[in-house]
Amino acid sequence: MTLDWSIVWDSRWALLDGAALTVLLTVLTMLVALPGGLALALMRLSRFRILAVASACFVELFRNLPLILVVYWAFYVLPVLTGLELPAFATGLAALCLNVSAYNSETLRAGINSIRRGQMEAGMALGMSRGQALREIVLPQAGRRVLPVLASTWVSLFKDTSLVSVIAVGELAHTALQIRSQSFRVLEMLTALAAIYWLMGYPQAKLVDWIDRRFVVTE
Amino acid sequence: MELDFTPVLESWRYLLGGLGLTLLLSAVAALCSLAAGLLVGLGRTYGPAWLRVPLTFYIDSMRAIPVLVVLVWVYFAVPLLTGASFSPFWAALAALTVHLAAYVAEVVRAGLGSVRAGQVRAGLALGMSRAQVVRVVVLPQAVVRMLPAFGSVLSVTIKDTAIAAVIAVPELMRRSETVAGQSYHPIEVFTTAMAAYFLILFPTTRLVDALYGRVAHLGRS
Repeated sequence: MTLDWSIVWDSRWALLDGAALTVLLTVLTMLVALPGGLALALMRLSRFRILAVASACFVELFRNLPLILVVYWAFYVLPVLTGLELPAFATGLAALCLNVSAYNSETLRAGINSIRRGQMEAGMALGMSRGQALREIVLPQAGRRVLPVLASTWVSLFKDTSLVSVIAVGELAHTALQIRSQSFRVLEMLTALAAIYWLMGYPQAKLVDWIDRRFVVTE
Repeated sequence: MELDFTPVLESWRYLLGGLGLTLLLSAVAALCSLAAGLLVGLGRTYGPAWLRVPLTFYIDSMRAIPVLVVLVWVYFAVPLLTGASFSPFWAALAALTVHLAAYVAEVVRAGLGSVRAGQVRAGLALGMSRAQVVRVVVLPQAVVRMLPAFGSVLSVTIKDTAIAAVIAVPELMRRSETVAGQSYHPIEVFTTAMAAYFLILFPTTRLVDALYGRVAHLGRS
């Protein structure tokens, strides 16, 4: 078997574009899914039953579905529901946001619940409103506690962006698989694909370990 | 919007067969990665340095590479390297096991670490060997504490088998794509598939939580 690694170097710009799109998808999804997850968590904890039930249904649905299926589903259903011709990138982003918002909501809810009730009550006894106590006392502490979990969700998300390749979003996986089928340099391109993900993901995994050690809470 | 579920009803046998393969692949992949992950986790925690370093590297690499990439690499690149070719099912099983075993190993390491060091010292002071301490004192408590995380590994396994559709394993996801493409009713077909996956995954996570609730006291120390 003869290997020709020049194909990897020759397609460096396309691969770099793909990698940039992977990073962009990760960042944009997190930017939407953090406030989204917080909103869902607060809905779940609210006194209005209807909000709590709606949030629980949403979260349980998207936590219990394979992401790749949500991506396909969004690809076919979103245009019909919204009446818009969405580009593949927006569809993929939407599917990722639905998925990660559901996970973040559970993470943040656990974080908020881990702060003792007494702290909220103490804040309110000092004359703070419920919202103020939540914003100034509970959320800062909860945020610090859930940081390790959010960091590991970040790395999962980074890897999961590869799944939107099935609806032809031109991120790293899709780009590399396209070049593979055009050039027939299968082994070279697939190995390069794995290596690029590794180079980007390995430092992130190590960073998660560091955040884990730095922010761990032992009761 | 007019919904027409007749294509789903007409190919229900085909889709049900896919569901069966999803369950089979999930069960076998979960068992294999559990066994492999237990060994890797034990090796990483108690093994000598020459074993710990490569195992740590393997685990962290799997945390960095998407399962989709592992799947296509095993299916398309391994046959080119070795000359042996696998059916999509075996390639998917191998790739999922390689990927998930790393996660199981992390769970195992965290579980072993959660048993206080004093217990190991107490066992050694009583004259037990290191292996005995691990087997008799640490593992029984650690395994119970690992159960919830094993439950979530199981649901991740079921979800990840859907990605095996990209290497044409004829499981539920792949067969749904086929039916959707042939019938021109993708919305109905994918919605049905969503319902099927949800109906498997939701009870799985609930069942694992309930089981854990009944045995959690065994892991206390």
